[in-house]
Amino acid sequence: MATHSGTADRSSRYEKIDFLGEGQFATVYKAKDTANGGKIVAVKKIKLGQRSEAKDGINRTALREIKLLQELSHENIIGLLDVFGHKSNISLVFDFMDTDLEVIIKDNNLVLTPAHIKSLTIMTLQGLEYLHDNWILHRDLKPNNLLINGQGILKLGDFGLAKYFGSPNRAYTHQVVTRWYRCPELLFGARIYGIGVDMWAIGCILAELLLRVPFLAGDSDLDQLSKIFQALGTPTEEQWPGMTALPDYVEFKKFPGTQ
Amino acid sequence: MDDQYCPHCKTTKYRNPSLKLLVNICGHSLCENCVDLLFARGSGSCPECNTALRRNNFRLQLFEDPVVEKEVDIRKRILKDYCKKEEDFSTLREFNDYLEDIETIIFNLANNIDVESTKKKMEEYRKANREQIMKSKGKLSKDEAYIEALVEQERCEEEEKRQMYMLQKTEEKKKKTRNREALIDDLMFSDQNVEDILATYEAKSKDVHRPLGYGSIPITVPKPATKFSSGIRVGVRGDENFLPIPKLEETLFIYKAVTQKTFGPAAPSSQEVETLGYTKHVRPASPQGIGGGYQSMLACHRAMQDAFCGLFYVPEKSPSPTPSVSSTISTGSDSTEMDVS
Repeated sequence: MATHSGTADRSSRYEKIDFLGEGQFATVYKAKDTANGGKIVAVKKIKLGQRSEAKDGINRTALREIKLLQELSHENIIGLLDVFGHKSNISLVFDFMDTDLEVIIKDNNLVLTPAHIKSLTIMTLQGLEYLHDNWILHRDLKPNNLLINGQGILKLGDFGLAKYFGSPNRAYTHQVVTRWYRCPELLFGARIYGIGVDMWAIGCILAELLLRVPFLAGDSDLDQLSKIFQALGTPTEEQWPGMTALPDYVEFKKFPGTQ
Repeated sequence: MDDQYCPHCKTTKYRNPSLKLLVNICGHSLCENCVDLLFARGSGSCPECNTALRRNNFRLQLFEDPVVEKEVDIRKRILKDYCKKEEDFSTLREFNDYLEDIETIIFNLANNIDVESTKKKMEEYRKANREQIMKSKGKLSKDEAYIEALVEQERCEEEEKRQMYMLQKTEEKKKKTRNREALIDDLMFSDQNVEDILATYEAKSKDVHRPLGYGSIPITVPKPATKFSSGIRVGVRGDENFLPIPKLEETLFIYKAVTQKTFGPAAPSSQEVETLGYTKHVRPASPQGIGGGYQSMLACHRAMQDAFCGLFYVPEKSPSPTPSVSSTISTGSDSTEMDVS
């Protein structure tokens, strides 16, 4: 992995070409890797958070992303090429991806044939299988985080919320996953969960690929649950053992669901 | 999924099952009660867009989207003026351009794009074609005439069938009475056996009672194909099919399980963890955990993998003293994890 050479030449190794976007924690630039034959890469410069956010001196999401991605290598997972610090900043260097699935879904000029949808779904699932095999939950799957490059290869990106799972005495937060793709157990406040959180999101994304509009677009957590149950029927304790034991469980109107 | 609801008083179909949405020319819907209230004096303005409306212009909303209603209204109005027919143009191309123009105007008005200039354009058109508009006002268009003719023809056929049926029915009745009279005559004057006479009568009457209905008269008039001005034929089964869908021959996706280099003996699979009784040695999942999708099998499986991984690992004799970390299975131990809580 990263060699520990001087950082001064590392920050000059990547030549900024373009500004790509700004997220909550980072700004992303398109850059040219001068040491690697001018290969185009994406440089994610982590914003220095507030002192309270950065408890251990470095932003938590960045740390997660670095820690997990350094160990992962799969065709359908975004590749972390390099990490370097410059002054008080940390920058992550990723494969350059041309677009993401959200752009594709929203572009009405594009026609998605069943073959396209199958292919995109398979690539997503393969990446996810690799993650789950390595006991990692992505926890933030949404079209916006499924990146696609010029060759049409889809890669899972943004591991800021990803985490190891399968440990019995560790409680996780339920405030993960963008609401529209959040599964009912998270909405009911489950603190111990499994791969279901990612699988639910994949299902929502598949539906969105087919519908071209978000499948379950709730405007609050409660509304999200009622949208889910309106579409799929309200589950019972027999269908979902342990549902009523969840911390934030509330009883819902019995929707029959659309079969 | 969403119910119908009145934007003014926020009543939904769920709360008021007899809710009736009405719509006026501006394309904003209101429920019946609101219309009664707001337009008690017969006229007023739309609460949404302040367009002056008259109460008797409200009508039942047929489409879910009130904007469609607005468009239908506009279309009706526009087509009153833009009434040129295909035979008024020398080429199909010109006619199509004309239709395109109409659609643009309707779209502009429905979506409030350049309303002023569009209206001006319409006014000019109206002035230029005043004579023709007046002429074609009472006149039926070719299509309308054709449809009227079809309806008339259908009516005639129906009438004819009905008359045939009536005729048959009276004939049947006459035959029946004749039979009866013959029977009585026979019984009175014939030398034959009573049973024989009755038997022949039965046979005769059965013949009469043959079920007769509309369907017994075959219709031989072939239905003419409907032909629209656009040239699309409806009603004839021709050879014209849709374009054949090009068939793509491709290799199908074959699932390959992910293989991991673990540098150790193969860990038991998730099924084996369960069947071989490993799960007995871990804490069972709490009901809350089960609800969240956690199983004790998961923890056990992961622990087994962690335990088996790296047992056969022999550091390569490489110049760098640090072993490579990147390619082994990720066995992130819990102590190094960070947690948000």
